[in-house]
Amino acid sequence: MKLAIIGIGKMGMLHAGIMNALDDVELCAVSDSTNFLLNGVKSLKPELNTYDNYVKMLDKEQPDAVVIATPVFLHVPMAEECTKRNIPFFLEKPLSPASDQAVELIEMVESKDLVTMVGYMMRYVDTYMKAKAILESGVLGKVITVHSTIYVAQLFRKGKGWRYSKEQAGGGVVIGQATHLIDLLQWMLGPVERVTGHTINWYSEEVEDFAHVHFEFKNGAMGWMDSSWSIRHHRLMQINIEIHAEKGNLFVCDDYAKLYLDEPADGFNAGWTNWYNPDLFHGVEIDVGGPQYSRQGIAFIDAVKNGKPVASDLRNAFEVQKIVDAIYKSAENHGQPTDV
Amino acid sequence: MIDRILLGHNQFFGVNHLDAKVGDQKAAQFGQVQKIMDIINFCYDQDVKAMMMSTHERALLVAEEIQKSDRLRENLGIYLLVPYIAKYIKQANEKGIVNIVRDSLKETSFAGKLGMFMRGGMGLLTKDVKTMIKLLVDFEVAPFSKLNLKAIFLHDALTDLALGWDMPDVLELFADHVEKKYNAIPAFCTKNLPRLMRLFEKTHIKNPLIMASINKLGYQVNPSREEFEDALKKYELQLLAMSTLAAGYLKPKEAYEYLFSLPRVDSVVVGLSSTNHAVETFSEIRKHI
Repeated sequence: MKLAIIGIGKMGMLHAGIMNALDDVELCAVSDSTNFLLNGVKSLKPELNTYDNYVKMLDKEQPDAVVIATPVFLHVPMAEECTKRNIPFFLEKPLSPASDQAVELIEMVESKDLVTMVGYMMRYVDTYMKAKAILESGVLGKVITVHSTIYVAQLFRKGKGWRYSKEQAGGGVVIGQATHLIDLLQWMLGPVERVTGHTINWYSEEVEDFAHVHFEFKNGAMGWMDSSWSIRHHRLMQINIEIHAEKGNLFVCDDYAKLYLDEPADGFNAGWTNWYNPDLFHGVEIDVGGPQYSRQGIAFIDAVKNGKPVASDLRNAFEVQKIVDAIYKSAENHGQPTDV
Repeated sequence: MIDRILLGHNQFFGVNHLDAKVGDQKAAQFGQVQKIMDIINFCYDQDVKAMMMSTHERALLVAEEIQKSDRLRENLGIYLLVPYIAKYIKQANEKGIVNIVRDSLKETSFAGKLGMFMRGGMGLLTKDVKTMIKLLVDFEVAPFSKLNLKAIFLHDALTDLALGWDMPDVLELFADHVEKKYNAIPAFCTKNLPRLMRLFEKTHIKNPLIMASINKLGYQVNPSREEFEDALKKYELQLLAMSTLAAGYLKPKEAYEYLFSLPRVDSVVVGLSSTNHAVETFSEIRKHI
């Protein structure tokens, strides 16, 4: 299977490394508009074809699958070029700067039944998979409220590049990082009906560095999310989710899932049941940057080859995007409740 | 000769593979460099005269303190891990890869820059990726170069990236540079030992020093504990074992009995954040080596 990569920055390099190592996958070409990165690849892997124009690459190489890992504003046009040629694609998250830009793409992809995947890789983290299974088992009863945070100590001065441009990225920490958490909440608790958002631009001029969001879910649950990329003492991006439900609580983060039940149910004791990563770990074929990326890459290749379902396709990413749009709209109107 | 027991560094810099919040608390606990030096000196007195060291910015302060102590400067073996990858991931998000390389190269020493200009300046340099990789290694190693550098490890994020991309040349480039310029043992950290050993067969690197997680639980061992054990039987390598207690899930006795039942286990990294159980842990390991 011939795989081509559009965009060989941090994420493109990672996905290429993982998928190239899988059986039957051959990395055939990469494209990037930055000569410096292309030169690097040419010099270290001369047998690989390199292009400074991705359309040329698609036409000439006719790959069986493509990874798109470029700045957000380029996602939709690039995905459209793949769709026109019936090439399955993996797209880095988020989908697009705003959801209206992706409507035609969604229609095109769904009319062709094309395999797509968007990089919401948290769905492949052991602890969140465990939390999802617990929620689906029904032991907690109805969810009442969810409290959640996503923080990283990344930005304490004005950032450089597309990530900090409203036009190119669509926004700041909400679209750039908190979409991981929004995706998890939607995955675990179901569709979001209405949001209230407040944001602060502190270090960045055009985009928000801090955001606080209130959610109303369609199933009646409520909850909030606080997010920032400028919170000290968070060496890595850390998500924390606390779910309070009729019959107990569920606390989940990258490191553990902890279930508390008032009464025994479904094989679980009353009180605490904890799962840490060593309890949940299983090895992967190749690990570059964490097993969740490997599982995601394996799932994409499996979907292209064997038609298996993926955890997050284009439609799912579109739903996340609509929530993001509503958050920004609400924040512009001083936190006016806004329908998704 | 590789040291048999090495003091680990993760606990000093906020890395914890069980719970990130515990990591953050430990980083605060070791907020004063003297607290780190107390552990290093305690271990030295217990005849553990070697330590892993990342190039975390706080490690620079530790390096300065080590340099001030005659006995540590001369005798403490430093096993350096380059680069401190979390810093670069954040920088890539903050300013992009191209700006990272540009800014890092700007900061390399004057002599280095002079050499760069003689070879044609920055523009040409970025075309010569192999030279640039060596300069970036130098940039990371520089603050530690006056210490007793025994080995320099390539971080698993980069080793495994080279593995995934199937770039054996990158591993050779790193190994040759470390040997030639620093007279240290070139070494590699990996999360994929069996697969990496297959890649080494395409290189001139023989009997490499590898740091990898291995424990009875199979935690952080890819693709499986069984395949890892098979690789140890099949390939020539020197293993520096890490995560041997599976993030605290295994008791030392059980953990080390398993570990030292494996072939080619030359050394073990031990993470200590207090001196409480250190003596027991060291004596448990010394039963086997």
